[in-house]
Amino acid sequence: MIGVRKKRRDFSQLSPLGNALAVLLAGGFAFLCVFPFLFVILISFTDEAALARNGYSIFPEKWSLEAYRYIFLTGDQLLRSYGVTILVTVLGTLISLVMISLFSYAVSRRSFKYRNFFAFFAFFTMLFNGGLVPTYIVVTQLLGMNDSLWALIMPMAVNAFYIMIMRTFFILSVPESIIEAGKIDGASEFGVFIRLVLPLSLPGLATIGLFSTLAYWNDWFNALLYIDSPNLVPLQSMLMRIETSMQFLLQNSNNPSVNSGLLQSLPQDTSRMAMVVLATGPIVLAYPFFQRYFVQGLTVGAVKE
Amino acid sequence: MKHGKKSAALLSLVLAGLLALSACSGNSGGNGPAASPGSGSNTQGGDEKPVELIWYTIGTPQKDLDRVNEEVNKYTLEKINATVQMNMLDWGDYSQKMGVMTASGTPVDIMFTASWAFDYVQNARKGAFMSIDELLKSHGQGILDVLDPAFLEGSKVDGVNYGIPANKELPAQEVWRFNKKLLDKYNLKLDGVRTLESLEPLLATIKANEPNVTPLAIAKDFMPLAGYDYLIEKMPMAVKLDTKDFKVVNILETPEMQKELDTMRKYYQAGYIATEAATLDTMNDAILAGNWFTDRAATQPFADNLWSASYGYPVVSTPAGEPTIYNWSVMGSMQAISANSEHPEKAMEFLNLLNTDPYLRNLIDSGIEDVHYKKTGDNVMENLPEAQNYDMPTFSLGNVMLTYLTKDDPATKWEEFKTFNASGKPSPILGFNFNGSNVATELATLQNVKEEFWSTLMTGTVDPKEYLPKAIEKFKTAGLDKVIAEAQKQLDAWVAEQK
Repeated sequence: MIGVRKKRRDFSQLSPLGNALAVLLAGGFAFLCVFPFLFVILISFTDEAALARNGYSIFPEKWSLEAYRYIFLTGDQLLRSYGVTILVTVLGTLISLVMISLFSYAVSRRSFKYRNFFAFFAFFTMLFNGGLVPTYIVVTQLLGMNDSLWALIMPMAVNAFYIMIMRTFFILSVPESIIEAGKIDGASEFGVFIRLVLPLSLPGLATIGLFSTLAYWNDWFNALLYIDSPNLVPLQSMLMRIETSMQFLLQNSNNPSVNSGLLQSLPQDTSRMAMVVLATGPIVLAYPFFQRYFVQGLTVGAVKE
Repeated sequence: MKHGKKSAALLSLVLAGLLALSACSGNSGGNGPAASPGSGSNTQGGDEKPVELIWYTIGTPQKDLDRVNEEVNKYTLEKINATVQMNMLDWGDYSQKMGVMTASGTPVDIMFTASWAFDYVQNARKGAFMSIDELLKSHGQGILDVLDPAFLEGSKVDGVNYGIPANKELPAQEVWRFNKKLLDKYNLKLDGVRTLESLEPLLATIKANEPNVTPLAIAKDFMPLAGYDYLIEKMPMAVKLDTKDFKVVNILETPEMQKELDTMRKYYQAGYIATEAATLDTMNDAILAGNWFTDRAATQPFADNLWSASYGYPVVSTPAGEPTIYNWSVMGSMQAISANSEHPEKAMEFLNLLNTDPYLRNLIDSGIEDVHYKKTGDNVMENLPEAQNYDMPTFSLGNVMLTYLTKDDPATKWEEFKTFNASGKPSPILGFNFNGSNVATELATLQNVKEEFWSTLMTGTVDPKEYLPKAIEKFKTAGLDKVIAEAQKQLDAWVAEQK
């Protein structure tokens, strides 16, 4: 019996030794990827004085929750930024889903006369854009969105690349005949879109939604440009500000004007690490649940059949 | 499909046109027209409509900014019939964001500028600021009265003033700072310590007895003092401080610098310097932990007290050079009026008030009395717990000599500052700003060469006997001679003009 079982071994299966090596290699690589983050978590729980004395170490001399206490006591800024980020992410993802799916559905329909024009209209922005200063002028002066949450949402609401993906998705996975059938049964254009096309396109929407969510969650540059009021600063931008300001002050610490007193008032190493943990934590935890869509999303728009 | 192609071509044309248009408008916003005429709007109060000024300054945004802003407006409305909208941009963001704002023509009236943030000289040449020569005379008389003339003299760009320097320490003086605990422990004396070489016996003692301490705590931005002033910070073109003929030289070829570099190499080999100094951003960690013996820093009166207080243990210092007035020390902190300001006169009136009125200056600096601080004497104050919601960088907001003292400050603090300022010797090239636009390509190449050699040479990480000739050679091939010739030409013209 044993002999038979051995014979039945799958041809694509590796030999035990090869398997062990492959697992070791992949595991080692995975560990290398995860390690920096684990290290950040460890540092955030290290005692500040021990850190200054011994430098970064995997087994700190002394553990401490001081960094988190500092953030939650003095930093209601962090909680407020959390609120801003969540609001912008949710609202932004919804808005961009609506706009992208409407636009790409229109340009995916053969019966739409100007679809090539509009497809090019979107495509053009992938090749050329106005550049930093003109964009800034449009957003702040023409649209008047300076220092408001809209400045964080609108510039990223429509993305030409996602339009391309969704258009291909509509063309490939929504058969023309279904749309025709809907029309014959008397549905309006809008009815067809909402009741037939959208339900069929959920995987595509989930992908675009996930991409947008990540983009909104990680965006800091728009906030750097458009947001002045500390109440409206999103999480990533807040981290970025702390980090760049820290660097800037350190670089200029030789300058007599920027005296050492300023450096003291900035958060210490451990608190900065704790902030990183708090800022990336939620999205890291949410990731496994989205992973299925994420993998699917990579093949959306690729040629099938 | 033919139709589609045509319309696509048309569309791209239209879009290209739009781009060109917006680029133009961006430019004209930046270069904007100078002072909008209109003199004699000097009447205070009355039935004139109050002006709102927009002010951007540097620093971490403070929670109570709006609250203090309200108080400021009450006062300025009464004094100069204007209100101010105060905005703060964080240290790291300031230069980039101000660059975008001035280029896009966003309304700004007053903004912070310095040699190290939103580069003053560069942006003055770009036309971001308004010339204030006339305005100072007409609406800023108070500033002229309180400010040491050397400040305005030194901050001229091509002969014109564009910003009001804060009245603070005028010269820069380098000192050796010492960790006093170690000085006392080994009973070391600072007599005769001045040059880099003279530190040697002290460093040797520490090295022999304290294995965990870095004797000479320097990082990658360290440069030995050789008695030269650099035309561009950390580029090898320099002029000797006691020059008579205003000759621009390559500092790496000077005997003074070569001697200093040899000393650095000796110290590095003796282990007085951290082995990774050439790549370290800062020695701040070692200093906070107290694991250092000496380093060099720029001083100001009572700096020892300041350092001791912020590190939590005593620090003492002794001079390493003469107090010298450099361009960058004069331009350490300035407030400028934007080129596209619609109310330059009011802006100047406000700056005048900020630099002369103790109430306004302290309100903006320390917050509201009895909320953020309380007065314990005539000009002495003490922070209240609320002060943590309003902690401004004092030096960036104009005349520091109007600010109240804290209880640890000596009563003669500002007198000492004035003495210190008077002791400063101007650098021979004070007020001369090199314009690199003719040699921009060479400068970029030189920058790369500098990145390659500078820190390792300056920290003694590599042997100057071997690497100094290499560096000089590379600088030469990168076009240093051409840049020096251009600099010499500009400097000669400037010197001729001064006479």
